[in-house]
Amino acid sequence: METAAAREVVIRVKDLYKIYRMGDTKVHALDGVDFEIYRGEFCAITGPSGSGKSTLLNMLAGLEHPTKGEIVITGKHIEKLNEKQLVAFRRAHVGFIFQSYNLLATMNAIENVALPLSFKGIPKAVRLKQAKKYLTLVGLGTHMKHMPNQMSGGQQQRVGIARALASEPQIIFADEPTGNLDSKTTMEVLRLMQQIVKEQNQTLIMVTHDNNLATYADRIFKIIDGKIVHIEENHREVDLVALEHAYQTGLPSEKIDESRDV
Amino acid sequence: MRFFDLLTMSVNNLKRRKLRTVLTVLGVTIGTASIVVMVSLGIGLKEMTIEQYTSYGSLTRIEVNSNYGWGTDVDEDGFITDDTIKVLEAIPHVAHVSPVLSTYVNMRQGVYTSGTRLQGVSSEMLKEIELAQGTLPDPNANTMQLVVGNMVARDFYNSKTGKGYWDTGEMPDVDLYNRSFFITFQNSGSNNGKQKKYVFPVSGLVKGNPDEYNEYSYGLFTDIEQLKTQLKRIYRKNAIPGQPTNKKGKPYNYFIYDLVYVNVDEMDHVLEVQNAITDMGFYAYSSMQWLEQAQEQTDMIQAVLGGIGAVSMFVAAISIANTMMMSIYERTKEIGVLKVLGCSLGSIRNMFLIEAGFIGFIGGIVGLILSYGVSYLVNNFLGAALIGGSGDISRIPPWLSGIAVIFAIIIGMLAGLFPAIRAMKLSPLAAIRNE
Ligand SMILES: Nc1ncnc2c1ncn2[C@@H]1O[C@H](COP(=O)(O)OP(=O)(O)OP(=O)(O)O)[C@@H](O)[C@H]1O
Ligand SMILES: [Mg+2]
Repeated sequence: METAAAREVVIRVKDLYKIYRMGDTKVHALDGVDFEIYRGEFCAITGPSGSGKSTLLNMLAGLEHPTKGEIVITGKHIEKLNEKQLVAFRRAHVGFIFQSYNLLATMNAIENVALPLSFKGIPKAVRLKQAKKYLTLVGLGTHMKHMPNQMSGGQQQRVGIARALASEPQIIFADEPTGNLDSKTTMEVLRLMQQIVKEQNQTLIMVTHDNNLATYADRIFKIIDGKIVHIEENHREVDLVALEHAYQTGLPSEKIDESRDV
Repeated sequence: MRFFDLLTMSVNNLKRRKLRTVLTVLGVTIGTASIVVMVSLGIGLKEMTIEQYTSYGSLTRIEVNSNYGWGTDVDEDGFITDDTIKVLEAIPHVAHVSPVLSTYVNMRQGVYTSGTRLQGVSSEMLKEIELAQGTLPDPNANTMQLVVGNMVARDFYNSKTGKGYWDTGEMPDVDLYNRSFFITFQNSGSNNGKQKKYVFPVSGLVKGNPDEYNEYSYGLFTDIEQLKTQLKRIYRKNAIPGQPTNKKGKPYNYFIYDLVYVNVDEMDHVLEVQNAITDMGFYAYSSMQWLEQAQEQTDMIQAVLGGIGAVSMFVAAISIANTMMMSIYERTKEIGVLKVLGCSLGSIRNMFLIEAGFIGFIGGIVGLILSYGVSYLVNNFLGAALIGGSGDISRIPPWLSGIAVIFAIIIGMLAGLFPAIRAMKLSPLAAIRNE
């Protein structure tokens, strides 16, 4: 693996703060965060509940304004953009995978996947072709016409992934993408995300409170109380076999126990 | 986003909540129908008024009377002569001007006799008379030809009993079209001898049954130039009865018309032309001036009727706004998702505007169909009883249909505007939060 410094920086975060005011008390959801993320990287953000993972991700995706600090994505200061510009920015550069899938109930699988492309004004035929490609890629080539309520959670999340990928964004954000899935499906979905993103040299940033899942990532950011306490380079080639074994047998391996207390 | 994609999404959302959509559309349907029916009644009323006035006389015609006083006080400036006609013809929007030269004549057929005015008018004017039989007088014929009104026979009385139709109610045995009759002209002041009896060919009979009135029914018409020739032939150098004389009691060597019909190109210009003529010092009269007043009244009735219809449209608009608001609350999360996925704010707003506009559109179309139905029922089962008279009281002209649908769409979109802006401003974070 090349050294980090030699690679292209996609996201640069500098001295980022998010403070929620609740009456007299202030909640420091993010308390001075600095980091860089490189093109083609799969980063996981972990930490205990309430530590500020979602807050960070939302700000990177331009869904919330920071209280202070800079977020530079592909050279653009997104903390300075207004609502309208943020939407345009997301449309052009960002894919998003939700914990609760958030497929549109009125649309079938292929239409859901094609939806972000329609926001770009891409003609229907082109959209559907692209959507078909990505649905096939996530293994749902046979479920194109299924409505969300006719699919399992895992299938819905694959559609969600295909939707995030279909517009071929540079960066994909995922907040607890497997939070509602069982362990076997979680494995499948995670491997799928990892694999596709790697193939297309996209940047994937995933929030999870599960340290085991974080081991799929190239780097793991650990947040506690709004501060990054640890960034871990992950050599997952070694870990994966054990992890998968653990999930399949249902018996946690030693390695997993260890990583839980970090 | 492309318009068609927006439309598809909007329509699908409406389909998702069928019952609610149908109920809201029903509101717009009723609103549209009540406006259209009310306005159609107003239009019917207005048009019926115009039709009524038209039957009294052409609405584009102005009658101009000379204004020269009587007896020895004759003011030559008030004469309507051929020169005046030229001035009148030069007024903008005047289509053609026809002087009327009339002279009092006596008619006799068998024992029946009647006095009437023989009116000489221009050939253009003659063309406006609708005939039941025959042709219009030929201006180039050797003798003067007549057009007789379909009700002229009523005015005849029996010269022996001295009684006529108006006394006995019995129609005199007079047929002016098929049988010839004598005409005698008045005596000139200086010529006290008995006037000759003339028989003129009747070329045409005014349209209508003997009891169907129109403005030409009681008239006796001929071509003005022929009448002039005829009068000159009869009276020679003497004063023609009815024509003014100068201070010395001598006749003028030109004809003075006591009446001129000025025909205007369009109804809208009649009053303008009429004012110009009045300013020239003549008495001018038109049916239009009365119609104008009547129209002010019908306009007001129409406004009141339209207002009643508008109330139900207003209620429909509120119901659209309500439906849209509910829909937005329900779809808060979905709207958030769209925003996270990069749907532009404008597209989100437009999506809801289209949804509301579509409700308006469907409601407008259905409302229009309903209006035609109601209009049919009113015309066939109520109309005549309601105000009397003939013709449809509820009239839906094509422009009203078009405007009604467009109006319904606009109302829908206006009602949807606030909810749509509300949707546009919803936070994308709603998508992330789990309920
Ligand atoms: N809108 C808000 N108003 C006030 N406080 C908030 C708001 N959103 C988040 N917080 C606070 O900010 C802190 C960080 O929240 P965040 O949602 O980022 O946690 P998280 O790490 O994603 O937790 P979890 O793993 O449970 O999802 C928490 O203390 C939370 O109470
Ligand atoms: Mg979270």
